[in-house]
Amino acid sequence: MQRTRIFFTGVGGQGTLTATKLVSLTALDEGLAVTSGEIHGMAQRGGVVESTVLIGYLSPKITHGEADVLLGFELLETLRALCYLKPGGRLVGNSESLPPLSVATGKAAYPSLESVEAKAKAVASTVLFLPCRTLAQQAGAAQSANTVLLGAACAIKALPFGMEALERSVRKYLKPALAEANLKALELGAKAALR
Amino acid sequence: MPSPLLADTPGETLLLLGNEAIVRGALEGGVGFVSCYPGTPSSEVPDTFFRLSREGDYIFEYSTNEKVALEVGAGAALAGVPTLVTMKHVGVNVAADPLLTLSYITAPGGLVLLSADDPGCHSSQNEQDNRHYARLAGLPCFEPATAQECKDMARDALHLAHRTGQPVLLRTTTRVNHVRGPVKLGNLPAEKARKPFVRNLQQYVPIPAHSRVQHRQLLDRMASIRQEAERSRWNKVSGQGELGVIASGICRCYLSDALFEEGLTGQVKVLDLGFSYPMPDALLLEFVKDLKAVLVLEELDPLVEEHLRALLQRKGVALEVLGKSETLPVWGEYSTDMVRQAIRQAQGRQARGPEHCAPEQGLAMRPPNLCAGCSHRASYFTVREVYGDEALYSSDIGCYTLGLLPPLSAADFLLCMGASISTASGFATASGKTTVAFIGDSTFFHSGITGLINAVYNNHNILVVILDNRTTAMTGHQPHPGVDHTAIGPNERPIEIEPLVRACGVEHVKSLSPLNHKATKKALEEMKALSGPRVLILRDPCVIHERRVNGKPKPQVATVAETTEGCLDVLGSLACPAFLKEGDAVRVDEEMCSGCMYCLQLDKSFKAKKRGA
Repeated sequence: MQRTRIFFTGVGGQGTLTATKLVSLTALDEGLAVTSGEIHGMAQRGGVVESTVLIGYLSPKITHGEADVLLGFELLETLRALCYLKPGGRLVGNSESLPPLSVATGKAAYPSLESVEAKAKAVASTVLFLPCRTLAQQAGAAQSANTVLLGAACAIKALPFGMEALERSVRKYLKPALAEANLKALELGAKAALR
Repeated sequence: MPSPLLADTPGETLLLLGNEAIVRGALEGGVGFVSCYPGTPSSEVPDTFFRLSREGDYIFEYSTNEKVALEVGAGAALAGVPTLVTMKHVGVNVAADPLLTLSYITAPGGLVLLSADDPGCHSSQNEQDNRHYARLAGLPCFEPATAQECKDMARDALHLAHRTGQPVLLRTTTRVNHVRGPVKLGNLPAEKARKPFVRNLQQYVPIPAHSRVQHRQLLDRMASIRQEAERSRWNKVSGQGELGVIASGICRCYLSDALFEEGLTGQVKVLDLGFSYPMPDALLLEFVKDLKAVLVLEELDPLVEEHLRALLQRKGVALEVLGKSETLPVWGEYSTDMVRQAIRQAQGRQARGPEHCAPEQGLAMRPPNLCAGCSHRASYFTVREVYGDEALYSSDIGCYTLGLLPPLSAADFLLCMGASISTASGFATASGKTTVAFIGDSTFFHSGITGLINAVYNNHNILVVILDNRTTAMTGHQPHPGVDHTAIGPNERPIEIEPLVRACGVEHVKSLSPLNHKATKKALEEMKALSGPRVLILRDPCVIHERRVNGKPKPQVATVAETTEGCLDVLGSLACPAFLKEGDAVRVDEEMCSGCMYCLQLDKSFKAKKRGA
């Protein structure tokens, strides 16, 4: 079996944990040996949320340089988590930002997309940034930005299963009212990734 | 449809959080009573029991603190019902008093104490190793590592507790509580196991004459449980080689993955220690035979390592023992990479160099923050306006601790749950300085009230600000004795804080909404002019909780008409996360704004508008 480590990073409230759970459930339904982990607690007050999905490992934790795939739901957090990515690993990230308080109050700077891209390219074999929130709005639900990212990651085969499996999971595990917008979000993410 | 956690569908596989798996394991173990005080990383265990409590065949309660939870649970287990009591690691300190005697008198129905430790301090004030309590109190200890083991060990721990009467410690760590993995379900018991209470003064009433005997009995019981640990399926040997590794808890996962990555699977002799106390001495001695060296992997304190060293010395076995004394830390979490390095070192091989890019330095931090519209921000803002840097601020455990950072800067010291009032008392008395104590509503009921009674009794000169947001917000909005609604219905007899404070003997008490800036400021100025113990109750519901309960956002949002000096001042001093500085202009993010309308009271540049307009 192909062993894989996927690291998720985002900000509390972005649906990072929902995305993590969706990937885990899909992997389980595909018969893969999945383990997942999450660190939150204080993070639910707008702090950083980090989570993991591992296929074929027992440990739910990923340390520096161990992740095969990095999924970044927020640009600054993607840069912060870049050290978790294994050299030659793949990165799929949201190009849009959620400024932390120090940036919002004008006390700290926020990195440019170009600078993050350049740093990522020095480590990763694949670097893909997409405007997830914008694409999610096009799909009909701003909250489905996380699904846009999963669609993109799946399209470039960075997830351990195909698009059909992910679509099945969206129908099976998300609330029926949200399924259509999220299926559209998957599609827009995949299209943007393959463009 | 009943929850899959309650369904009797043995053989089915569910993807469960470690904490949910513990719930299922307890149900499979026949649990009939559950009490708790919430605390990350344990909270999802009681929350899941609570969510299922209308369908499930067990009694559940949120208790006011961990000591009470354990005492209530002890009563249930004395009455013969298999019982689970849950809390985070520091909660066991609160419960330590009854715990150390409960293990003498026994709990015939069976009592399992879940202690969720937090190596790495992900959401805690310290990283104490609660395996010490197993040694201190005399508790058999299980340490699961996967979601499946969380389920199976919770069940086995309850069975052991029911069979022996000895309370059992189920010790998890954050990574285990929050692991998510496949769990194959077992059978739910057809009948509830019960043990009718039989009066026995010698057993259940620990007056000194009885306690002396009970201590000996405890030691005998633990000796017999040690025999069970010797042959437990949770303590298993695998692989072979000259190097042995003994691992407990989550380290067992890191070890398995590290051996795979080093290409050493099966080539190192491994002892998985899942039932980790009392230590299986015979098994340990058998395990180390013919080894050249043994490496011990355990997070936090070197309990297994030191026990092994003492055992080997006692038996005259000369063997190299590696662990904390060499390179592994007594703080923080281990990782697969750390275990790989330790194995390489034990084999005399070179350390692996870092292959990854260095962590980026100097990035804007993203500390957790009080939410937009959180009434605590308004409370802190006004207290600072009135007291400024003149006062020292004593803080407590809860969301409101997040007010510690500038610009609110509302915490100068913090000890533990419920300590803000008593610590402020001591500080004010010793220093003569103006001292303000902040405490949340749930924390006040937890253990703050005893400090207040003490402050009245000793006439301490402090202002206590009770930040009453009508819930236990930090750990996920659990109810407490003061709220109007529990999640399953109205609270028939909510306990009002103000009359309670008056009944404690506090003369100067006032309650109001902190979102009324002018009135709060006036009340604070009046309180400042007084002396002795005074209490200001600032009451406004948690915005997140309100949104979840009522499901509707407030109709208005704030907007900036014009960025003035005053507007920039408010941005800097209130620092609401809904504010955004774009170039020189201040803007309010409509999606983030809760509609509390507090900023409008501080400066005229903020205006109200209809949401979405």
